Amino acid sequence: MIVVLAALLGLFLGLPVALLVGRALFGGSLAVALGSGPVVDALALSLITTAISLTLTIALATPLAHVLARRRFRGAAIVETIVDLPIVLPPSVAGLALLLAFGRRGIFGEPLASLGIELPFTTVAVVIAQMFVSAPFFIRAARAGFLGVDRDYEDAARVDGASERQLTWAVTLPLAAPALASGIVMTWARALGEFGATIMFAGNFEGRTQTLPLVVYGEFQAGDVDASVAAAAILVLAAFGVLLAVRGLRWGRALDLRGA
Amino acid sequence: MRLRVALLLAALALLAACQPAASTPSNSGSPSASASAAAIAPSSSTTPEPTVGPPAALTIYGAASLKGALDQLKASYETGHPGTTLTISTDSSATLRTQIEQGAPADVFLSADVNNPKKLVDGGLADGELVDFAGNLLTIVVPTANPAKIATPVDLARTGVKVVAAGDEVPITKYANQAIGLLAGLPGYPADFAAKYTANVVSKEDNVKALIAKIELGEGDAGIVYVTDAKASSKVQTIEIPPQANVPAVYAGVVVKASTHLAAARAFLDWMGGAEAQLILTELGFSPPQT
Repeated sequence: MIVVLAALLGLFLGLPVALLVGRALFGGSLAVALGSGPVVDALALSLITTAISLTLTIALATPLAHVLARRRFRGAAIVETIVDLPIVLPPSVAGLALLLAFGRRGIFGEPLASLGIELPFTTVAVVIAQMFVSAPFFIRAARAGFLGVDRDYEDAARVDGASERQLTWAVTLPLAAPALASGIVMTWARALGEFGATIMFAGNFEGRTQTLPLVVYGEFQAGDVDASVAAAAILVLAAFGVLLAVRGLRWGRALDLRGA
Repeated sequence: MRLRVALLLAALALLAACQPAASTPSNSGSPSASASAAAIAPSSSTTPEPTVGPPAALTIYGAASLKGALDQLKASYETGHPGTTLTISTDSSATLRTQIEQGAPADVFLSADVNNPKKLVDGGLADGELVDFAGNLLTIVVPTANPAKIATPVDLARTGVKVVAAGDEVPITKYANQAIGLLAGLPGYPADFAAKYTANVVSKEDNVKALIAKIELGEGDAGIVYVTDAKASSKVQTIEIPPQANVPAVYAGVVVKASTHLAAARAFLDWMGGAEAQLILTELGFSPPQT
């Protein structure tokens, strides 16, 4: 009985996606869509924007995660909650909030606009939307990674005369690396899949702000179900790869521990 | 066990792949049969007296530009037809058409053009003929503050103006592009007017209501919408499109063949062409149907 229920749930979760990918691969829509048109443009745009948003996230969020893991300060819980908020917010809410903050009449957007910098409807807005919704995943993973580094190793390095800088680069970061790596992969996946905040804040324009998830929606709306299926299949395959990579990282870490 | 489930999944994926890739909704009849059915069905123009259908819960899919109007039409129809309830869903006509093709449970489809409902008729997904129920005209809207200082339609092509448009398949885009083409031929308009307008488009929104929202927020400098959308918004200014370049929009509706309330759906669609609905539509700025 339990096995049957489990199998049914497994089918429910796996079948729709399997059918989608099957249709894209064997129905020919993937081949057609990869030949030309919006799917290719969107794939390129998605890869470029997620590369930028991921790089910025790693550069800016690693120090924050380190502070949250190592320093005890008043209000730390509030900061952690605020930082986690985009994970549970509906993306359309994030998009509206970004538009009201960075739009032409927004608190930050208006001074920027007077300097001639307008963010909505630009590729920059796509990157901002991706960072806003995906950075929390990296911060969480990195914070957990830093917390997992045994303070004894750091103290031992200090006793041996390591500077704080050497300590960070030679001890803390390498020991937290597996957690950081799986955080990076999950963060990239979230940025790649970002839809609601992008369409609200960055708009929808081929080659400029139309990423793959926007093509899935837009081409379906326009009646081109095949292009929609092709873009969706690319996203499914990317997500599948991400989960495999995360598993691989965990497996690698387990081996490391066994070896140690 | 694991292997068997995996095999089953693989088999199902293959099965899906063997089905035709084109969207062929299961409820479509043979094209010839549906075409003859459409031909013998009474058209609304020959039956001006609205028929009273049996009470039913109807789902109406309406063009985004009909959103405000449908709220009033629903109230009026439900009052006059006790027992009948209308559920309204609005989006771009292209989106709604796609959804109906994919089997969405609509009874009546009210489109902002003739093209989209006609595709349902051609695909054998409609019951009976199209009914013209309203018309509309186009206008340019700008935010109240008019940041780009748009004074005449020619300014739409000025470099740096942020034009917000809708998706290529959305009716407003088709009408707007026709209007731009007509404007380009008027004296005083540069030869590359249409190309420069196209280059100024910064976003293609889902539907005309999403478009006007970006103008109301002041994020876009200008956009082309229906006069009824402009009339319903207090946060935009309008810049008139000269009559010789304006494009009359024709709104047509159709009964969805898969409806389980065909008679009630037909009665509602016929009512849309009648005096009561026309009074509501005219007050909101829609023009009367052409027929």
